[in-house]
Amino acid sequence: MLLITSVCSGGMAFHGLSFVHSICRPPSLLTSIKALTVAFPTINPRHRLLRRSPFDSAIRALASAAVSTASPVSQEGKVSAKAQWKAAIDFKWIRDNKDVIAANIMNRNSNANLNVVLDLYEKFLNLQKEVERLRAERNIVAEKMRGKIEASVRQALVQEGKNLKEKLASLEEDLVHLTDQLQQEAQCIPNITHPNVPIGGEESSVIRKMVGSPREFTFNIKDHLELGKELDLFDFDAAAEVSGSKFYYLKNEAVLLEMALINWAIAEVSKQGFKPLITPEIVRSSVVEKCGFQPRGQNTQIGVRTLHEAIQPGAFAISEKSPRPAEPKSNITDTSMLSFMVYSIENSDHCLIGTAEIPVGGIHMDSILLEADLPLKYVAYSHCFRTEAGAAGTASRGLYRVHQFSKVEMFIFCRPEDSNLYHEELIAIEEELFSSLGLHFKTLDMATGDLGAPAYRKFDVEAWMPGLGRFGEISSASNCTDYQSRRLGIRFRPSDASTILKKGKSGNQTPTQFVHTLNATACAIPRMIVCLLENFQEEDGSVVIPEPLRPYMGGLSVISPKAKRI
Amino acid sequence: MSLITSVCSGGMTFHGLSFVHSICRPPSLLTSIKALTVAFPTINPRHRLLRRSPFDSAIRALASAAVSTASPVSQEGKVSAKAQWKAAIDFKWIRDNKDVIAANIMNRNSNANLNVVLDLYEKFLNLQKEVERLRAERNIVAEKMRGKMEASVRQALVQEGKNLKEKLASLEEDLVHLTDQLQQEAQCIPNITHPNVPIGGEESSVIRKTVGSPRELTFNIKDHLELGKELDLFDFDAAAEVSGSKFYYLKNEAVLLEMALINWAIAEVSKQGFKPLITPEIVRSSVVEKCGFQPRGQNTQVYSIENSDHCLIGTAEIPVGGIHMDSILLEADLPLKYVAYSHCFRTEAGAAGTASRGLYRVHQFSKVEMFIFCRPEDSNLYHEELIAIEEELFSSLGLHFKTLDMATGDLGAPAYRKFDVEAWMPGLGRFGEISSASNCTDYQSRRLGIRFRPSDAPTILKKGKSGNQTATQFVHTLNATACAIPRMIVCLLENFQQEDGSVVIPEPLRPYMGGLSVISPKAKRI
Repeated sequence: MLLITSVCSGGMAFHGLSFVHSICRPPSLLTSIKALTVAFPTINPRHRLLRRSPFDSAIRALASAAVSTASPVSQEGKVSAKAQWKAAIDFKWIRDNKDVIAANIMNRNSNANLNVVLDLYEKFLNLQKEVERLRAERNIVAEKMRGKIEASVRQALVQEGKNLKEKLASLEEDLVHLTDQLQQEAQCIPNITHPNVPIGGEESSVIRKMVGSPREFTFNIKDHLELGKELDLFDFDAAAEVSGSKFYYLKNEAVLLEMALINWAIAEVSKQGFKPLITPEIVRSSVVEKCGFQPRGQNTQIGVRTLHEAIQPGAFAISEKSPRPAEPKSNITDTSMLSFMVYSIENSDHCLIGTAEIPVGGIHMDSILLEADLPLKYVAYSHCFRTEAGAAGTASRGLYRVHQFSKVEMFIFCRPEDSNLYHEELIAIEEELFSSLGLHFKTLDMATGDLGAPAYRKFDVEAWMPGLGRFGEISSASNCTDYQSRRLGIRFRPSDASTILKKGKSGNQTPTQFVHTLNATACAIPRMIVCLLENFQEEDGSVVIPEPLRPYMGGLSVISPKAKRI
Repeated sequence: MSLITSVCSGGMTFHGLSFVHSICRPPSLLTSIKALTVAFPTINPRHRLLRRSPFDSAIRALASAAVSTASPVSQEGKVSAKAQWKAAIDFKWIRDNKDVIAANIMNRNSNANLNVVLDLYEKFLNLQKEVERLRAERNIVAEKMRGKMEASVRQALVQEGKNLKEKLASLEEDLVHLTDQLQQEAQCIPNITHPNVPIGGEESSVIRKTVGSPRELTFNIKDHLELGKELDLFDFDAAAEVSGSKFYYLKNEAVLLEMALINWAIAEVSKQGFKPLITPEIVRSSVVEKCGFQPRGQNTQVYSIENSDHCLIGTAEIPVGGIHMDSILLEADLPLKYVAYSHCFRTEAGAAGTASRGLYRVHQFSKVEMFIFCRPEDSNLYHEELIAIEEELFSSLGLHFKTLDMATGDLGAPAYRKFDVEAWMPGLGRFGEISSASNCTDYQSRRLGIRFRPSDAPTILKKGKSGNQTATQFVHTLNATACAIPRMIVCLLENFQQEDGSVVIPEPLRPYMGGLSVISPKAKRI
């Protein structure tokens, strides 16, 4: 059971053979054990950092040094070894709300196992008590040994102390393992769900809004691939040779169209008070995990990985690659996982981002934000890379599903009480953007079965694509509440103490709370290009550019077939 | 010896344990051996493809299928196994020009070993002769066995044929190994060098042109890191946590500036007849190798994708060079000029020190790149055109810079000649490279398999083998930076800073930034 369910734990990465045996230990035994004893456990001193302080970088540098010292193996000149991270999971809350959580797990088709979590938590509490009892006993023995005593008594006490020490060491080790198991299992539990979300599979999703109507064509319409070929806008054949299938070159006006869409989306969204960002596209795997994605293809059975390690120890000597499952398998059975896989960088603990949500979520990692700075709204442009394992068939023709694409993404960090409001704001911005381009689309409140583990609620936008003859998803807006912030360690300190129900431990200061995070697509370029080409094609084979984009294309209003060579 | 020099061979990648023993065999033994006997060897039938033909994709599909069938291991559902590629190296020409080549290798500080190449080529020719002799003998024996004859004679012939077959099989295997070794060694030989290129190390490079003069600043200047911090333009600290050192977030006006530079560079260069492209950023390792880069090895600049035979591109030069891979272009289509925008990823292994502070040397950046495929006789001309475009672009931004004809010691293996542009960066207090323009002549096209068929038959010295058609020639390739964004941001911030801490945007970029003319310090929170 443990072997199977632990596949959804986010905290594992194999950096090299030497890590395999040691990775299960957190950097500091005591810290991690204590962390579980408070309702909102603090994982690690790093999480207490106030990013805005002038001493910021100095403290961060120290904290990082501490972490890599604690990590078991550190290879000279390589990326410093990753410490296992822990989500700040509120186990007491889970125990006290088990019926709600059990129903939620079922509604969301999650593979989380609540009984295992509860069972492990019970064991953990008992073991912790036992450890504390032994510690107290050991202290009593130590106390007794002070002052003058008879040699035989001292001898007995020394023996007793030694026995206690050994027993304690053994139990503490058990506690570490138990803590890890508990974390792994509990990290599988999906976010709770907004009460208005329809329960059921994708087909149960509810239409919130319908904009426009399908354009009536009086001629035989083409799909975007045919249009792209005739207008000399893409090259999939050359890309298949150079890179592989589902890669592409954009050519000529398609390049201008991509740039126009990016510029237009950034300009429109930043008008709404979102700060523009361009993000790293290579990130640590741990950040990917903390955002709720599976960087290492862990939906494959972990047994496969173990098998590889067992039978191919020599692989290291030759390829210096860590053995991983041959290839992410396409049989994604856990619908609580987001449905794409990430590319990993060889010989490192880094991945390519599948969405800018990851680096933007990470920009305030391990920080305490000022309440006055909230909401923090960002509009981020990045390239996105997805292996898209298992995505095949006609639904993924041409530009619809590709390994690499440009995307402009919105992201908000806000106070918990504001996240529903900002979720509405995000979907309203999306609707305004797509309406202004003249698209016909519908907005859906996605059913529980279609939500990824981080989402509390998700609105999708599906636009009409006449060439494909169906609606296709062009954007998505999710409220992740505190699912990501509990993993990324992003808090704020409310200025108004009365809003806090829990008593602050440290006296004067009000305790911190986790922020809520939301993400939403402003423009996923290739799908938007599909929409624009297919919806605005003309009988003569040309494509009309929507008004709002023309200023970003040097005034170009139509893409016309090139003149033939004479 | 061959173990040591084979580090510069491009054709090896380890896709998995099961490949290790089989990767040394080329897809077809006979094809590759024959290929070496002609002056311009054709490597593989794939190279005969005319990409513009309507049957294009069908033929390509067939060709690919043939290659992957020949490859030793093919894993279900995985990227099809990579066949070892071969550069179309003109060994006869190397043998006949060994003094020139030896001097060139020395001038360029190359680790190529010409003597090993010549020695292997000699061995190869002898072995090939021996193989041909045995084949002829085997044929004679086979001929003798036709018709009626005594059993004992037949028995003797059968035995002789068997012996010959075994000997031949063994020699053919030797020939395959020898061919591979020869390829690996010969692929290390750098391109020849333009006669005007100064000989020596980087310090011997010659200034071609100096534009502008350093701006006289009457106040204490800041470097781009300080300006970026005060204007809230970058975040290196958060990027260090999320990604690692030498990564960064661009924020606020820096985002607009990056987008403006990309849009402006594409617009300006496409006015000169260059076709815009946005390229894949994940490519097969073989394409990286064919462009003259080393995707594997200790000091590689290239990020590799785990469990695959793919890399991240370090420059758009790679996917643009690859766009016509294994094709025969129409002469009438030449020159083909492209302006490509991509993100670039570099490990920057071994690059440290003050020269690499802030945005100057980073793992990921945006770049607009020019690339030309042309006829051999035109490449020097287009090299001048490329550097002229660069000079015009940087002048229009008001930068102070110099253009250098880089010395032999500073040329990478593919370059026949390279012009660098170094701009004045007052914050750094020195000139820094912002762009580079290289003529690679046929170095890349011989690896990528990009040819054209001259329409004018008399220009061809070599007789076409196939009778009517004129023989193909390799195109020349050139590449040049139009705009490497982060270094340009360094230049703009440091050169156009004002005493009040603001930065003025050069005129040509303003239309691409919604008319913004100055980046000013944000108002403080009250």
